[in-house]
Amino acid sequence: MAIAATIPSAQFGGLRPAECQGLVKKSVEPILKTENLWKLYRAGKVEVPALRGVNFAVQPGESVAVMGPSGCGKSTLLYVIGGLASASRGTVLVDGNDLAEMSDAERTKLRRSKIGFVFQRFNLLPTMTAKGNIAIAQYIHGDGFDPHRFAVVTKLLGLEGRLNHKPSEMSGGEQQRVAIARAIINEPKILLADEPTGNLDTKNSDVVLEMLRQLNKELGQTIVMITHNPEAVTYFDRVVHMRDGVIVDGIPAD
Amino acid sequence: MMGELVFRNLLHRPIRTFIGVLAIGFEVMLIVFIVGLTSGLLAETAKRIEGVGADIMLQPSSAGVLIGMSNAPMPIKIRDRLAELQYVQSVAPVLLQFNSSGGVELVYGIDKTFDEVSGGFVFLQGRGLEGPDDLLMDDLAAKSKNSRVGQKFKLFNHDWNVVGIVEHGKGSRIFVPLATLQDLSGSTDKASLFFIKCTRPEHTEDVMAEMRAILPNYTVRAVKEYVSLMTSTNIPGLNVFVDAMISLAVCIGLLVIFLTMYTTVIERTRDIGVLKSLGANSPFIVRALLFESAALCLFGIIAGVGLSYAARASFLKVFPTLSILITTEWVLRAGGIALFGAILGTIYPAWIASRRDAVEALTFD
Repeated sequence: MAIAATIPSAQFGGLRPAECQGLVKKSVEPILKTENLWKLYRAGKVEVPALRGVNFAVQPGESVAVMGPSGCGKSTLLYVIGGLASASRGTVLVDGNDLAEMSDAERTKLRRSKIGFVFQRFNLLPTMTAKGNIAIAQYIHGDGFDPHRFAVVTKLLGLEGRLNHKPSEMSGGEQQRVAIARAIINEPKILLADEPTGNLDTKNSDVVLEMLRQLNKELGQTIVMITHNPEAVTYFDRVVHMRDGVIVDGIPAD
Repeated sequence: MMGELVFRNLLHRPIRTFIGVLAIGFEVMLIVFIVGLTSGLLAETAKRIEGVGADIMLQPSSAGVLIGMSNAPMPIKIRDRLAELQYVQSVAPVLLQFNSSGGVELVYGIDKTFDEVSGGFVFLQGRGLEGPDDLLMDDLAAKSKNSRVGQKFKLFNHDWNVVGIVEHGKGSRIFVPLATLQDLSGSTDKASLFFIKCTRPEHTEDVMAEMRAILPNYTVRAVKEYVSLMTSTNIPGLNVFVDAMISLAVCIGLLVIFLTMYTTVIERTRDIGVLKSLGANSPFIVRALLFESAALCLFGIIAGVGLSYAARASFLKVFPTLSILITTEWVLRAGGIALFGAILGTIYPAWIASRRDAVEALTFD
């Protein structure tokens, strides 16, 4: 376990045991924290709760896997903590900023500087090369193209020889590595991964998971990953389970 | 980076891009060509009137800028009164007659005084008008009608002898004897127009003042003024026609761009979600689509200019007497109009894209 000191979730933040299921570092402010987080979707005249009061915390440098059956709210949780969707109730603190209090434009600004996303379907821009897909994240970030950071990241992910290829010319594993490079190129505080190995074979899954672990251990990248893959959780510091829109437990992976 | 994004997006769907460029090209061509045709014809007509060499024109009171449109010929004896005026060197009466068979053209009925005013024709072939059935053509009309000296030419149900081919640029493209045309049109001793040449150009105003004094019910114009009036705004209905054609062109361009950008936005819904997940805000999304539309439009404008010149070359080959004036001013105007239409056509799709929910966009299939 890379993160040396952990404490039971019940002792974190004074939250009730039933609500605070995560394991957190001692005496360090969480980089991500949700309190009584609700997300309601409207289906016609009916409101369907996707998240039902989630309490969740992630420490800086921690890697957390979120598991649970389909439809339990994992992806919704990821979208809300990533600022892609707004919370219906509760608080979402990302590096001390409450997303629930922010407008869409403010969440977008925060997402640009503090959050990186990796998706199951890679979601690379099909018209751009690997280089373009990574560089556009730097461009949107606003600091312009940083060749040094670009070189470090692409080398770390083993993409040097594939930079001028379009997504359609790359394997799934390569595409996902490009997506990871794009997600971390701006040094986000948190990397959110939505089933990043869901579309990969075992070999490529292992490569991607190993890279995520490497990012976490070597660069201290905070990672929250949603996965269905039971083997994937062994790469993470902690795994939490979700069911019916709530986190039902939180156990150390090892 | 934005340039690369836009450029690669355009290349991603080459057929759609090609059709978009072509549509904008046709929009630009339609504007440039229609304006070029109208202004070309007017400018060419003005140039030919100027080429007569007269200083002043006298027309009936109801005459408009387009000569030959008036059905009120003037008595030819006016010539004698004009000739008596101080500073008048020569007066040439002309009877104008429209011929609409085999193309619309204005035929000049002239007599020897026309040479006095114009300084005479430059003959490329043949000789001047001598007999009552003689006919002169300018070189462009001869080329267009494939006529040569010595041939017969049917005009106004009358057989004429082509006796000379002259250099173009003096009033009309076809000239016949005044007396014969008067007989054929039932306008004996009438003229539609008098060209007046002053002894010196500086006397033009003085002569015009005298003419207005003795002929108060007639239209007296300096040829220079007439030339300046030959614009579409001074031709009844022509301006409306040009505006209607420009509006039609704008509508075509706007609808094509709208459709292109709308389908682009639908097709790239997931990409828009990706950009939003990377932190792209609404102005970025709108800007990307506007740039793409503007780039498409720019290529369309270039294509449109090329198409305009190609269309002009094709038309002039088939109709050598036509004049199509493609000016930088109207190329720029057409480009501006196309760009305005393109931006207008992109606003709604761009707004839709910028408002799209990021999560929905990311899960779009």
